[in-house]
Amino acid sequence: MPGDRDYYALLGVPRNANTDQLRRAYREAALQLHPDRNVRAGDTELFLDIGRAYEVLTDPDRRAAYDQELDASETEAASKSSLRCLVQHSRSALLQLDEPQVHYVLLDILPGESVAPTRPPINVCIVIDRSTSMRGQRLDQVRSATLAILKDLQAADSACIVAFSDRAEVVVSPEQAKDVTVARSRLSLLQAGGGTEIGQGLELGMSELTKTFSREGVNHLILLTDGRTYGDEETCLRIAEAAAEKGITLNGVGIGADWSDRLLDDLASRSGGNVLFLDTPKAVTDLLQRIFDSLGKVFASRVRLEGAFSDEVDLRSTFRLYPDPMPMGDAMPMTLGHLPRDGRIRLLLEVVVHPVSTVGDLILGHFTLSADILGLGAEPQTHPVRLSLPVTKEPEASPPAQEIVAALSQIALYRMQEKARHEAELGQSSQAARRLENLATHLLAADERELARAALSEAERLNHSRRLSTEGEKILKYGTRALLLLPAKTGAP
Amino acid sequence: MIECPSCRHQEFVGTIYCSECGTRLVHAGPGPTMAIPRDRVNAEALVTKPAPPEGPELESGALIGLRILNTGDILPLIGRDNFTLGRAIEGQAVIPDIDLGAFNAYDFGVSRMHAEVLLEEDSVYVVDLESANGTLVNGKPLEPQRSVPVRHGDVIQLGRLRMQLVSRYRG
Repeated sequence: MPGDRDYYALLGVPRNANTDQLRRAYREAALQLHPDRNVRAGDTELFLDIGRAYEVLTDPDRRAAYDQELDASETEAASKSSLRCLVQHSRSALLQLDEPQVHYVLLDILPGESVAPTRPPINVCIVIDRSTSMRGQRLDQVRSATLAILKDLQAADSACIVAFSDRAEVVVSPEQAKDVTVARSRLSLLQAGGGTEIGQGLELGMSELTKTFSREGVNHLILLTDGRTYGDEETCLRIAEAAAEKGITLNGVGIGADWSDRLLDDLASRSGGNVLFLDTPKAVTDLLQRIFDSLGKVFASRVRLEGAFSDEVDLRSTFRLYPDPMPMGDAMPMTLGHLPRDGRIRLLLEVVVHPVSTVGDLILGHFTLSADILGLGAEPQTHPVRLSLPVTKEPEASPPAQEIVAALSQIALYRMQEKARHEAELGQSSQAARRLENLATHLLAADERELARAALSEAERLNHSRRLSTEGEKILKYGTRALLLLPAKTGAP
Repeated sequence: MIECPSCRHQEFVGTIYCSECGTRLVHAGPGPTMAIPRDRVNAEALVTKPAPPEGPELESGALIGLRILNTGDILPLIGRDNFTLGRAIEGQAVIPDIDLGAFNAYDFGVSRMHAEVLLEEDSVYVVDLESANGTLVNGKPLEPQRSVPVRHGDVIQLGRLRMQLVSRYRG
């Protein structure tokens, strides 16, 4: 690419942006990044880059030349990229229509053709909640699960265990982790007691991970908690964003009924990680092992999607379907986490297209995928993604792409659960109960008896006590989310 | 905008599932009826027959009706003496008298023209119209195109969609 970044992405404007849009975007960025105000390192450079981008794009001749150059460099980047990207649309054409229409795009990000089957070094930090509620079986299980991971470490790996209550401390340092006997005795000193201040734990965990940060490897933080934090949510989110910037992914594991699933979801989605729910601590060993094994199979980390949709198009929602189902929000750039060697990252984008009056090709948006391919040096690899569709007058006869329909049918269940919870919180308990009953019917039809039963019992609870149980909320949320992992059973509903 | 057939919620054109009730809005076109494994159809038919409903359920004043078992809705059979059951699809030439689309008929494996109910002098009859997943009365599969008498409380199953005949005359 000329320079090293896409000027349009830098300003956050679509490729067909007019002068007005450019001016607005430039002003906004400049206000934030001006050397008189900015505090973070690197902002001044960014400010200068944005200035250059604005200068080039507002001069028609230079912009035309730049567009050509950009096109050529993108074609070149795509041809030698170590990433592949497949795009499926819900319909092969948009309708010429004087009202908004919804369109779905399925994006698959895969490793390139030649993938070396090497295990990358793993740099992991496990941050353990040791508040009073963890006492007993919970902490015992977590302790032994953690020790099992440390036994599996290879020479190039690094691991660190941090525990927190109202304060945080390093329980097992990376040096101590290399010796299992030392690690075991250090872990046995871990005692429950105190409150839950997640921000403290994350802060220390991140600073330890940064010390042992590995460019060639996977950097990952696992947060195990059973309680909610009060007052430091903002700090937590800021840490998650800083983690995303560095390429550290955050996994949340919630034990029991009383942790804050919304905060953990938010932390994980900002850093490209995911959240797992354990109703009993017994499964924690398996779970940690699974996470650890998946880290050994990472091909690229810090996978990001940046760019902008055209003016005619609004992104309504993004759902990551693989490797871990997770709603991703609607803000660009999007941090997508780790790309597994033998798998894919699959995203389902839902967009609203504003009324289109002309027949022809409509560009939905221009994006750049970027990722750090592990073992390929420091330069992130990029891959252009261009979404466009023809616009026709006649509605299409063929049914929408099967995989999209299958994914949407599961997402519909997830959304129903979300709506019911929202309604319950607003006090509309009878409506929420009806919705859960409806959800139960759908779940039964999909042969998910356990979940259907949970939905029905929550509906009943709503009718009696006007509220959901904190456990039921989580069972339904993570249960319906996990349905996305199953292979689609049938073409319908 | 398009309207969800089951809850009347308005959605943008192109939406595939209703955001309100989860009903599928874009159908896979006039494609084949969804196949349900035979053993599943039979297994569900074996579930014990629910007690026949009592008279007051027929508030509509209809003499005869079909009660959809999973929702409790009653479809009155009035105004004529034969009713075809199935699911209507846009653009289909012949549509059934009673459209079961609102009861997730597609998911339950109901054919577009699945069965017919005949109200005759002596009794009520059900005929399977060579449906893909078959019609069962009280768990027994019907031979296609052969009419079988049904009585008050009998369970008629189209694919996996179960309904019960309610009749004021207990005939």
